[in-house]
Amino acid sequence: MSTILVVAEHRQNALRPVSFELISAAHGLKKSSDDKVLVAVIGSQSEAYVEALSVNGVDEVVVLKSSVSDFDPDIFEAALSALIESKKPSVVLLPHSVDSMGYAATLASKLRCGFSTDVFIAEYQGDELVATRGGYNQKVNVEVDFPSKSCVLMTIRAGAFKPLEGKASPVVSNFDLPAVQSRSQNKEFIELGGGNDIDITTAEFIMSIGRGVGEETNVEQFRELAETAGATLCCSRPIADAGWLPKSRQVGQSGKTVGACKLYVAMGVSGSIQHMAGMKHVPTIVAVNTDPAASIFTIAKYGIVADIFDIEEELNNQLST
Amino acid sequence: MKMLKSKADLVSKAIKKADIYCAAAVYEIANTNERNDLECLMFSKRRDALSLARWEHTPASVLQALSENVLRNSDIANVDSAILTRIEKNPNTPSLALSQHYKSEKYKKQKLSFIALVAEHQNTPLQILESIARFENDIEGLKSLSRNISANASVLTILVSRIPNIFDKNVAAHPSASANLLELIYARGNAYTRAAIIGHKNCPLCLVESAEQNGDLPLLMLRQLAKDERLSKNTLIKLSSNIDSVVRYGIACNLATPKAVLSSLSHDSSAAVRRAIASRFDLTITSIIVLMKDKDVWVRQWLARNLRVPKKLLEQLAQDKHADVRRAVARNPRCPIVVLDLLAQDESAWVRSAVAYQKKTPRRLMQLLAGDTNIDVLSGVANNHHTPQKILQKLALSAEEDIRRGVIINLNATRKTMLPLLEDSYYLHRLMLIKKPQLNQKDIWRLCDDPDFQVRFMAFRHIAHKLLVNSAQE
Ligand SMILES: Cc1cc2nc3c(=O)[nH]c(=O)nc-3n(C[C@H](O)[C@H](O)[C@H](O)COP(=O)(O)OP(=O)(O)OC[C@H]3O[C@@H](n4cnc5c(N)ncnc54)[C@H](O)[C@@H]3O)c2cc1C
Repeated sequence: MSTILVVAEHRQNALRPVSFELISAAHGLKKSSDDKVLVAVIGSQSEAYVEALSVNGVDEVVVLKSSVSDFDPDIFEAALSALIESKKPSVVLLPHSVDSMGYAATLASKLRCGFSTDVFIAEYQGDELVATRGGYNQKVNVEVDFPSKSCVLMTIRAGAFKPLEGKASPVVSNFDLPAVQSRSQNKEFIELGGGNDIDITTAEFIMSIGRGVGEETNVEQFRELAETAGATLCCSRPIADAGWLPKSRQVGQSGKTVGACKLYVAMGVSGSIQHMAGMKHVPTIVAVNTDPAASIFTIAKYGIVADIFDIEEELNNQLST
Repeated sequence: MKMLKSKADLVSKAIKKADIYCAAAVYEIANTNERNDLECLMFSKRRDALSLARWEHTPASVLQALSENVLRNSDIANVDSAILTRIEKNPNTPSLALSQHYKSEKYKKQKLSFIALVAEHQNTPLQILESIARFENDIEGLKSLSRNISANASVLTILVSRIPNIFDKNVAAHPSASANLLELIYARGNAYTRAAIIGHKNCPLCLVESAEQNGDLPLLMLRQLAKDERLSKNTLIKLSSNIDSVVRYGIACNLATPKAVLSSLSHDSSAAVRRAIASRFDLTITSIIVLMKDKDVWVRQWLARNLRVPKKLLEQLAQDKHADVRRAVARNPRCPIVVLDLLAQDESAWVRSAVAYQKKTPRRLMQLLAGDTNIDVLSGVANNHHTPQKILQKLALSAEEDIRRGVIINLNATRKTMLPLLEDSYYLHRLMLIKKPQLNQKDIWRLCDDPDFQVRFMAFRHIAHKLLVNSAQE
């Protein structure tokens, strides 16, 4: 029997959706029905998340009560170090998030665990655990194995695993935190990005516009189309720099990576390296561009050499009739 | 670092740096001997040659030299096709290099599938395109040619006359297809090709007229026809009540549609039709009043952006409960200052941002908006040429990259405001500064030793260009 430990993540009194994706990843790693998935939740109000974490795939929720409500790398590192020593899991899954980046590497190193970050496939090949992650700036997929490691720690890319459906009644236990001196202090929580605007990193269907739209008034047509199609409208840098769409909608190196996106429709985007840095991992990319030599076509699954305004009109026709 | 005075100084500095990107930047201004040294530096390692062949900023002259270098230094059995393919794909490759590739026996004998690349490149000279259309048999290559916007009517005619049907669809959408050619293809085309031809800007009038007479026109074609400004008044009126909303939408967009028809379309059951009416620049006041009350928020948004809407009515739209409508008012170039005053205090940051980006927004409002905490609002303030210099100087030190970039984009930011940005931690910003007329050559010179290769390249290139212009003027 082996144990797979998941570390739930919460921010501003709400569980982050990635916690449920980790549970699904952990469930997929069970080799037999005896294997157990444990979900650890750390915080001053950690018991408040038990109900929400009682979902299919979870065998036990471990509540670790800390003195601070927010994330603290020292507390997390010490708490998980003690928990891993005690429960001896074969795999530990953390979200690939800024929080985990604050302590995951140290934790893995201290406990001499196998370690891989930004993993989007985790599976057993025979008896061997293999993690797949991007390499060379996502240009190649790299398979990582962990010979002779009894415990492997991975940070999992958001959006890579589909959460399981349905509620469950896992065992709930408590685990005492070791005494730890925190070296940091939370002063204020500042939401990054465009304030009230949506978070494009969690959007699954994105329509993105580039300089091909020509003028600001044309942006409206695509906003309208995106709304009708149920897509989140994003853009390349020149569009955000001109103030035509909020900065929070910019995809790419100096914008955001659309981690959860499954379908990306690029309209009049040339596909610069910097833009592609934020979206080239998307499994289905549809590109519309009048220039057959546009770089975006090198990564598109479906390429349409056409005027975006013709396609916009046709899509509107199709969607409105 | 000492300032340079001559082209030779700059070239020798680039050679001393032993940096392929600096070498590429000065190649154009170098003399024959210097060019040999630069080529040695840039092309002797295959890795470097491959990088330059693909790099989006490699100057045309360097690509030309590289192409000749590869063709010259390889025998027939051993052409470096990886480098040549990259050169063919590079949009900066000059027409001479493309012609040489096409004509090179060495290269051709390799039987490489390079024709498609040459055929689709926009710098390939017409003469070569014509020769491909006439003599090549590779269908993929010919398809690329039929999409190449540099191909003219004569090249397209040769193509479709030589091999009928296969390329008709592409040619029907090609902007250079002539009326005669379109007529030829129309006669043998299916409904899709015909619809594309009806929508083509060069579609001959006779085809429009015959389609107008056809009572049984496929819907695809009817939708295209509805947008044609040469339609008779009767046809426009008839189509305005067509059962298909897309046909009516075409009429709503058609500049020839009579005013009375437009008025009745303001009440159309389809929101798409009403949206099209709301965005027309010849909107009548009666339609404006009807559309102001439209329940569809997009109709009101299009209206709020419309330059025809009188200021009084813009004031009313500025009170709309939907933030996107209020934003559209703020982006309208005719938006009155009193309305901007109101919208500068809007609860939605995206509306306030529109005010911050609005060219008309006065200085005093920029001062107010500078106290905002939202990135989009502050980026707008940083972009706006009415923003006082003191505020720009503060924003140039912002912790947010987007806001600092706004200052760089601002044409009104002075040299003093921009100077601290030469040290910006983000290389994109240093890159953008190179083209700023506010900065002098001494400022740009500092960037020649930048840790980032793109910044170094651009800085060298900028100075090389300046020296070239100066010597031409002397
Ligand atoms: C350090 C650095 C960081 C950067 N970060 C980012 C970033 O985060 N995100 C980002 O996007 N960019 C970023 N950039 C900028 C990037 O290099 C490009 O300049 C930018 O992505 C180009 O945007 P675009 O594709 O919209 O415009 P363009 O490159 O101008 O492309 C417009 C495209 O539209 C097509 N087109 C035009 N009209 C039509 C039409 N009617 N129908 C169909 N197609 C049409 C054209 O063929 C063209 O391919 C960065 C640059 C640097 C140097």
